[in-house]
Amino acid sequence: MSERPTIEQYQQYIQDNDFHALKCKSCGAVIAPPKGMCYSCGGTDLEWTTVSGKGKLVSFTVIHIAAEEFQDETPYFVAIVELDEGTRITARLLGLDPTQPEKVKLGMPLKIDYETGKSGKVYIGFRPA
Amino acid sequence: MPLRETNIVSGAQTKFGKLEGLTLREIFAEAVDKATVGAGIPKEDIQAAFIGTFIPEMLVHQGHTAPLLADYAGLRGLPATRHEAACASGATALRAGIMAIESGLYDTVLVAAAEKMTSVSTNRATEALAAAADDEFESSMGLTFPGVFAIAAVAHMQEYGTTEEDMALVAVKAHRNAAKNPLAQFQKEISLEKAMTPRYIAWPLKLFDCSPISDGAAAIVLTNNERAKQYTDTPVKIVGTGQASASMNLCDRTSLTSFEASVRASRIAYDMAGLTPKDMDFAVVHDCFTIAEIIASEDIGFFKPGEGAKAVREGVTALDGSKPINPMGGLKAVGHPVGATGVKQAVVLYRELIGEAGANQVPNHNTAIMHNFGGTGATCVVNIMRRADA
Ligand SMILES: [Zn+2]
Repeated sequence: MSERPTIEQYQQYIQDNDFHALKCKSCGAVIAPPKGMCYSCGGTDLEWTTVSGKGKLVSFTVIHIAAEEFQDETPYFVAIVELDEGTRITARLLGLDPTQPEKVKLGMPLKIDYETGKSGKVYIGFRPA
Repeated sequence: MPLRETNIVSGAQTKFGKLEGLTLREIFAEAVDKATVGAGIPKEDIQAAFIGTFIPEMLVHQGHTAPLLADYAGLRGLPATRHEAACASGATALRAGIMAIESGLYDTVLVAAAEKMTSVSTNRATEALAAAADDEFESSMGLTFPGVFAIAAVAHMQEYGTTEEDMALVAVKAHRNAAKNPLAQFQKEISLEKAMTPRYIAWPLKLFDCSPISDGAAAIVLTNNERAKQYTDTPVKIVGTGQASASMNLCDRTSLTSFEASVRASRIAYDMAGLTPKDMDFAVVHDCFTIAEIIASEDIGFFKPGEGAKAVREGVTALDGSKPINPMGGLKAVGHPVGATGVKQAVVLYRELIGEAGANQVPNHNTAIMHNFGGTGATCVVNIMRRADA
């Protein structure tokens, strides 16, 4: 007997520095961020799973002009990261210099970490492995 | 099924830019008046109004806008409905108008769209625009709109060798075309050097890679074959229309160098029209950012994936090129009052196709395509139009 995983719980796992993804019970696909169904097989029975925390950099940007809430944190990286489990998530990029984005190499191996923003909110992040 | 009945018989836009002292309803009414009575079409002939506007709740503190706008524009009593799809709001309103005419439910309808963005601070406007992205998984992490397109740019640069200078050339072209367009927000050419000024908004996108915050409205009148000739000698037929959606999240996209909703909507529109990219004389695409024009030019099939930048460099997409794109200046230099843009694009196609684009007239103007994009590319509308006598 398992309850349907919620987005609130997904966000809470990140706030607790304990990232969890969803896993499709029918085909085993790992899914993050959450979706209402599995796009690999159409299954709707999903459960929580932990991940290796390893991935690679797909693409990124450095934000200089942000919404008011984030302006004090600029410049900061936002990246698309592909986890070894196959799913892609949007995350902060850590441990690299945002004033030298040309030095960042796509495809570089990354490992999961967390960053606490000025507001106290925790962002999921990745740093060079 | 091909479209058979939809004709555009008039089209007009207000000036785009900071329209000081004018509210949303006044801007809207100006476009409606120009497209109806200004074009010899009595308002009494209009049977329904399809209205596009993105986020007046946050920008001007007004919801339930369709009856309000229709009433102010002298269309009290008509069925008036708002259509919202972020920056593609205008084109989704247009599609509703197309369906209304094709179904035979109405003979003549108005499609109009407006946005008033400059009455709030830039921060507030940025926040309003961010509502078009996924708040729970992306915006809440500090990803911005320019950031979304910057991520696509980095992927495109890596995969195809597109450069910051290629993107800057799109801005130079946009300003060159808009300099001749009296309704544009920026009527000034810029040098490549200026376009390359390293004022980063979201690296590698700089200030001149981004479309501005604007006010403006646009309107067109659609009618069936039987009525078209009573309004104009040169109706323009909408021969194909496509719409598609995609994931809001960038991280859920299979490709970052192409927008799948654009590809899908284009294919539907071409198939419906029985035409191919080769048959298109020019295009109007959604250049909210310079990289968006390069990618759109590939997604609508004008160029192979990765060859959009080369086309810009070689002048293929210039006003006098063999495949002009955004001949009046695009969103980048004409302005981008978000909800109004899709209808404004239809107005540009109409004016170019009937040969009334003045200094911005493209040489060949029988058939053209418009591409209107919503938010992060989660909505795309593509329409193909042809002069009725072509
Ligand atoms: Zn599955």
